[in-house]
Amino acid sequence: MQVFSTSPWVPPEWIKAHGLEPRGIWFAGDFGGAPLPLAAGVCAFANAAVRFAERHVDSAVVFTTHCDQLRRGFDMIAGSYGGRLFLFNLPATWQSAAAERIFASELERLGRFLVKLRGHLPTAKELAAIITQYSLARKRLLEAACDLSARQYAEAIARFHWDGSVNLPSASEKTGSIPLALVGGPLPRAQWHVLDLIEGAGGGVVLNATEAGERSLWCVAGARGTWGSDAGLVPFKTESKGTHEELARLYLDNCIDVFQRPNTRLYAWLKERLTARQVRGLLLWHYVGCDLWRAEAQSLRETFGLPVLLLEANETASDLPRQAGRIEAFIESLTGPRT
Amino acid sequence: MKAPPRKLTLEEWEDWYAQLHRAGLCEPPYGGRLGRHVLLESDLRLRHLRFDNSPAALRLWNFLLTENQRLAQARAQGEKLVGTMKDLGTVPVMAYALPGLRAFYPDGAWWTPCLMECSDGLLQQAETLGLDASFCPVRAMLAAFENGQHFPRPDLLLCSSGAVCDDFSAIAQRLERMGFPIEWWEMPRRRLPEPPERACALPGGLSAPEVQVNCVREEFERIGRLLSELAGQPLDGRALASGIHEANRVRRLLAALRQAVYGAAAAPLPALEMLIAEMLAIHFCSDREETVTVLTDLLAEVESRLQQRQFVIPEAAVRLFWVNPVADLRVMNLLEEWGGRICGSDYMFTHALDLIPEDLPPLEALARIALADPMVGSTLDRAARIVAECRAGRAEALVVSRIPGASHCAWEGDIIRRVVREELGLPTLELEVPPICDALLPTLGSRVQALLETAKAKR
Repeated sequence: MQVFSTSPWVPPEWIKAHGLEPRGIWFAGDFGGAPLPLAAGVCAFANAAVRFAERHVDSAVVFTTHCDQLRRGFDMIAGSYGGRLFLFNLPATWQSAAAERIFASELERLGRFLVKLRGHLPTAKELAAIITQYSLARKRLLEAACDLSARQYAEAIARFHWDGSVNLPSASEKTGSIPLALVGGPLPRAQWHVLDLIEGAGGGVVLNATEAGERSLWCVAGARGTWGSDAGLVPFKTESKGTHEELARLYLDNCIDVFQRPNTRLYAWLKERLTARQVRGLLLWHYVGCDLWRAEAQSLRETFGLPVLLLEANETASDLPRQAGRIEAFIESLTGPRT
Repeated sequence: MKAPPRKLTLEEWEDWYAQLHRAGLCEPPYGGRLGRHVLLESDLRLRHLRFDNSPAALRLWNFLLTENQRLAQARAQGEKLVGTMKDLGTVPVMAYALPGLRAFYPDGAWWTPCLMECSDGLLQQAETLGLDASFCPVRAMLAAFENGQHFPRPDLLLCSSGAVCDDFSAIAQRLERMGFPIEWWEMPRRRLPEPPERACALPGGLSAPEVQVNCVREEFERIGRLLSELAGQPLDGRALASGIHEANRVRRLLAALRQAVYGAAAAPLPALEMLIAEMLAIHFCSDREETVTVLTDLLAEVESRLQQRQFVIPEAAVRLFWVNPVADLRVMNLLEEWGGRICGSDYMFTHALDLIPEDLPPLEALARIALADPMVGSTLDRAARIVAECRAGRAEALVVSRIPGASHCAWEGDIIRRVVREELGLPTLELEVPPICDALLPTLGSRVQALLETAKAKR
C-alpha cells in the first residue's frame, strides 16, 4: 500500500520498515496539476492534499501539523476517511526533551496506524537496514547537489522521495548563469516549470531549498549521530534507546524548516550554503495562503542582504507569463539587460 | 442613582456621567469620563459605539481602556512585566501567582487599529516591517513593539508554538528576528488518546493522551523556572494552587455572568460589554484583583436588572451564537441594532472560561486546561462544544466571524457550520469583519438581517 506524506519530516524509513510504500505527496503525478475549487483564504497546497486524499481511496495519507492549514484540512475530511488518514504531530520546538518525546510518541502511533493498514512491526535490524539505505541515498544526493542542473536535481530528489532510490544522471555542464537560491514551501512536480523559467531567464538555481528539496536531505554534519556502515557515518544505536526514539531524535536534530520555533537553524543552514555557492538572489517560493513563508521575506532580505523575489505557486497556466516576467525582471535587475 | 438600562452614545454618557458624579458616583483610581479616552489616547472608535449605561459598565470600560497606563505604572513601581503570547489564558495564571509580576497579552494590540480607527498607523507600519494586509490584524502587535507607544516592553516574552495559528506564529517569529527574544514553548495539537495510551480528562469534557499532558506540564515547569527567576522567588506548588484558586474566582464570576445574560429571555447586558467581560478571563486585563471587582459589579447589575425584568435587548431579538471575536467592536452593537442578541459565544478562548481543576497537582491542572484550548484541537471538537452551547442557549442562528487573514479561518467556518447545520438544523452565516467595518456596513447589514429573518421565519 502507498502511504503519502505531506512533509519530508515524517520518516519514510519508518513507513518502509512497516512494509508499506512511503511516497512524498508533492511528486505524485496527479498532485496539484489542475486548478481546484478553492474557498477564500485556503492554501492551494493544503487544498490539493485534501482533494488528493479524497480521490486516492486505496492509499493512506499522512497529514502533518506543521502548518495550520494542513491540520485543519485534515479536520475537514477526518470524519469521512478516518481509517486511512493520519495526522502526525510535528513539534515546532526542537531543543527540549518534551519535543523529542512527542515526536517519538507520534512514531509509535504512526506504527500502530501502519499495522492496521496491514503493515508489520519492524525488527530493529530491519529498521536499521532501511535507515542505512535512506541515509546513504541522502548522502549521494547531497554530494550531487552542485553537479546537476536544477531540473535534474529536482528529479533526482523526487525519485528519492518517491521510492527511496537514487538514480543520478551524468553531471550537466555549468553555464555562466546567475546563481540563485529557490527557498520556500513545497514545489510539486506540477510546478517544476518554474525551474525552466529561471534557467530560460539566465538564472541558475544552485540551491533548491524548497520543502522537499536539498533541505530535506539531512546529513551527518551537525548531528549527534547518523546511520549506516559507510565511513564517516555512525552506526545505528539500537542498544541505547528504543529504535523509534532514536529515529525521533535524529529527525528532530536534523529538521530544517520554517515552522520551527525558533527557526534559527533554517537561517544557519541557508547562510552556510548561500555563502559557499555565491548566491546573488533569493526566490521565495510560496503558496498564496502560506503565512509561514511569506512572513519570512523581509527577514531573509535583512539577514542575507540579498534581493528577494516572491514567487507564488501558479494555479493556472494563464499565470505563467506573469511569473516569467517577474523572474526575467528580477534576474535582469541583478545583471543588467541581456544582449 | 439608577436609571432603566439602555445603550448610550459617548456624548450621552458624558451627560449621564455628570449626573452620576453629582449623585456621588464612587470610582476606582482609573475611573473617569469615557470621553477622555478619545481626547487623550485617540480611541476614536468610542465615538461610534453604544455603551451600557450602568456604572458597572463604565468601570469595565475604564478598566479596559487604561490597561496600558496601568502597565506603565506597574513598571514604574518596580514590577516586572511578562508578555504572554497566543495561549490565551493559561500562562498568566502562573505569572500572577508570583508577587511583583504582571502578565499581559501583546496580542491584544490587534484591537488597537479598531479603537484608534487606524489613526495609530500600526497596520501601515506592520506593512513596512514585512507583514501586509494578507496577515491577521494581530500584525499590529509587531508595530506596537517596534514603536513602543502602546504598551511597555515586557521583561520576558513567552509564546506558545506548535498547534497555533500560522499567522500569529509567523508574526511572533518576525518579532524575534527584530530583536525581541522569545521563549517558545510547545503546544501539541490535541488529539484523542488511542489504546494503549493512558487518557487524561480535560476541562470542557475533552480528553488527551498522557504524553501530551506530560509534554505541556514539562514546558510549564520550564516556564515556571523563568518566571521564578524574573520574580526573584520560587514558584512553588502552594503559590500556584493559590493562583489557580484566584483564577477560578474570576472564571466562576464569568460563568455566572454568562449564564445570567445568555440564559435570560431578553438580554440584560449588551453583547459588546459581554465580549469585553469575557476577555478579562485571559489575563485579567493586567490586574487580577480588580477583575474580580469589575465582574462582581457587572454581575450584581445584571441580577438586579433581571429581578426587575429590565433589559437592553427585547425578547423578540433573534438568539445568535457567535464564533470568533470581531476585529471591529462596533459589530457587536450593530448585530443588536439589526435585531439579534448573543445567547452564546466562542471567542477562541473557551478554555479560559472553564474551571481549572483544583484537585490535581497545579502544573498538571494547568497543562490540562491549556490543552483544552479550542484552537489547539480538532475543529470538530470545537464544533461539538458549540453545538452543546447552542442547545443550552436556545440559539436560533449561528454566525462565524472571520478574522481577515487568519490562517484558522480558512477551513474552520465550513466545518463548524456543517456540524451545526447537521446537528441542530440552524441557519448559519460566515462573514468577515475588518478592523473598521464602516465601508462594509451595507453588505454586513443585509447579510446579518437575512440570517435573522431566516431564523425568525422558523419560529
